[in-house]
Amino acid sequence: MLVVSPAPHVGGLSSTRRLNWSVACCLLPAAAWGVFLFGVPALSVLGVALGASLAAELLAALAWRRVTLADGSAAVTGLLVGMLMPPGVPLYVPAVASAFAIIIVKQSFGGLGRNWMNPALGGVVFALFSWANAMNSWLPARGVAAGTGVLPPLNALRAALTGAKSAHRGALAVLGASSYPWSAADGRVVAWINTHILSLAGWSLPGGVFDMLVGNIPGRIGDVSVPLLFLGAAYLLGRRVIRWQVPVTYLVTFCVAAQIFGGLPMGCGWGTGGALFQLFSGSLVLGAFFMATDPVTSPLTGTGKLLYGMCLGVLSFFLRYFGSGGDGVPLAIVLGNCVVPVIDRFAQPRVGSPGKAAAG
Amino acid sequence: MTRPSGFIRNNPVAAVLIGLCPAAAVTGRVIDALWMSLGLVFVLVLTRVSEAILRGLNKAPSGQRPSRPEPLRHTQSSQSLTAGWLGRLFLASCFTASFEVILQAFAPDESASLGIYVSLIAINCIVLDRVSEQRALGAPKATGTEILRALQDSIAVGAGFAVSLMVISLVREVLGAGTITLFPVGSFGGTVVVGNVSLEPARALIYTGGGFLCLGYLAGVARLLGHVRRREREQSRPEAGPV
Repeated sequence: MLVVSPAPHVGGLSSTRRLNWSVACCLLPAAAWGVFLFGVPALSVLGVALGASLAAELLAALAWRRVTLADGSAAVTGLLVGMLMPPGVPLYVPAVASAFAIIIVKQSFGGLGRNWMNPALGGVVFALFSWANAMNSWLPARGVAAGTGVLPPLNALRAALTGAKSAHRGALAVLGASSYPWSAADGRVVAWINTHILSLAGWSLPGGVFDMLVGNIPGRIGDVSVPLLFLGAAYLLGRRVIRWQVPVTYLVTFCVAAQIFGGLPMGCGWGTGGALFQLFSGSLVLGAFFMATDPVTSPLTGTGKLLYGMCLGVLSFFLRYFGSGGDGVPLAIVLGNCVVPVIDRFAQPRVGSPGKAAAG
Repeated sequence: MTRPSGFIRNNPVAAVLIGLCPAAAVTGRVIDALWMSLGLVFVLVLTRVSEAILRGLNKAPSGQRPSRPEPLRHTQSSQSLTAGWLGRLFLASCFTASFEVILQAFAPDESASLGIYVSLIAINCIVLDRVSEQRALGAPKATGTEILRALQDSIAVGAGFAVSLMVISLVREVLGAGTITLFPVGSFGGTVVVGNVSLEPARALIYTGGGFLCLGYLAGVARLLGHVRRREREQSRPEAGPV
């Protein structure tokens, strides 16, 4: 088929519309995993968030006479809001969060491209501040018997560690000692690995490794399955829809800070933070790949992106370990969005100084 | 004599964007906003009227009296400028202290709830702005018209401030707490509970950030309405061709 169009003749995923829809598609596997784990409640939360987002976009289109429903940005926002909700949340929370995201955070500032804050995160942070209890209504994951424990590992760890400042052998050991309900499959897999492989070397894995890796844990709908998030992110990175600088520096900074200092508030020594546990719990991966990389609200230049990622890592570390609760990621990225203009100003390539221009 | 514009066109909070600290800080409850507005009107009116009355008593050194009174900041020497400001701030702080004492006597709970913001009325941006608009210290004694005008202007600005605070506090309290707190009158306990909203209100609006959010939307709506009105006026005007 022959398409006649004016220059520039650039192929690939370049239009806003195709970028947004590809991001939405890459989010779907992780969202589907959440629906698989938590069942119909998760599906209805996702549906309400998506529906409210599209409805709000339609409303804004009528008010501003600028129909932007097809650019996919509202769909991505709605999907992200739904994925950042706990599965048992009352349905008015995702509805209001989505509407807030679209109308207040995005359209009031002039629509897509002019919003200084990531819309989905703006909506979620509004919900976190407004309905703190509702945002903590977790459901048990599929493999765990109902009623035995529905806290995500991070919250359970926090609860287990309050008051008890003793040396421990990692987060999973603490959770195991406080009889955290890992799934039966996890028990079988870890026992098999311990007896058949690791016993030869005299090592053993704590219970919960399999559940954490697979994502068979309570949590928010979209952030439980880290492997599927990595899968979607790998596609986006391969197609250059998102760039590597922000997520890599974000995750590395956070993990290094968590590993070095993370043990201190729990009464352990330096370097005992358990970075991998922290990486696999909470919405860190979802935030790093799908929200911190939002092209509208992240710096333009490569240097700026590196700086921004480090900034987010440090902020997330402080908010997660010293904040009043939650995993700190949404608030960290929202705060990071505020400093993006400053970063952009400092990381600007200068005309006429080749050394600095190359950094961009 | 022009009509005072402080109520709508130059509304201190929504149009001129001054006095934002109380507008964001004490609008969590309607009753707080009411008392704050009352305090501002009290201080503003009394300061300006008494300043206009007292002005004539100050005998300016001969030769320095400006032939045509201008706003203070443009014409006066630094010495009389300082003296003028000192006098005005003295008046404003006297009336603020009076209001504070009255509030403590008759509404102690409210006084505790408003806290430092009552004392801060003395250096409130709106008070400073309106007081600095007045004539120079050495100007001739204020005529009755001038005093009346100061009174009108103060009431207009104060009412503009009050209406802005009312709107912000209504939005914040209804959506953020699900209640409307007013005076207890007779059998009415003083608090209106807004049905379903009070069960799970959007508490984010009660935080100061929510105050700034409402403030921004109020200013935005005010600009939008002004813009729409101006455009309509321009469209209705007959086209003036080149002469």
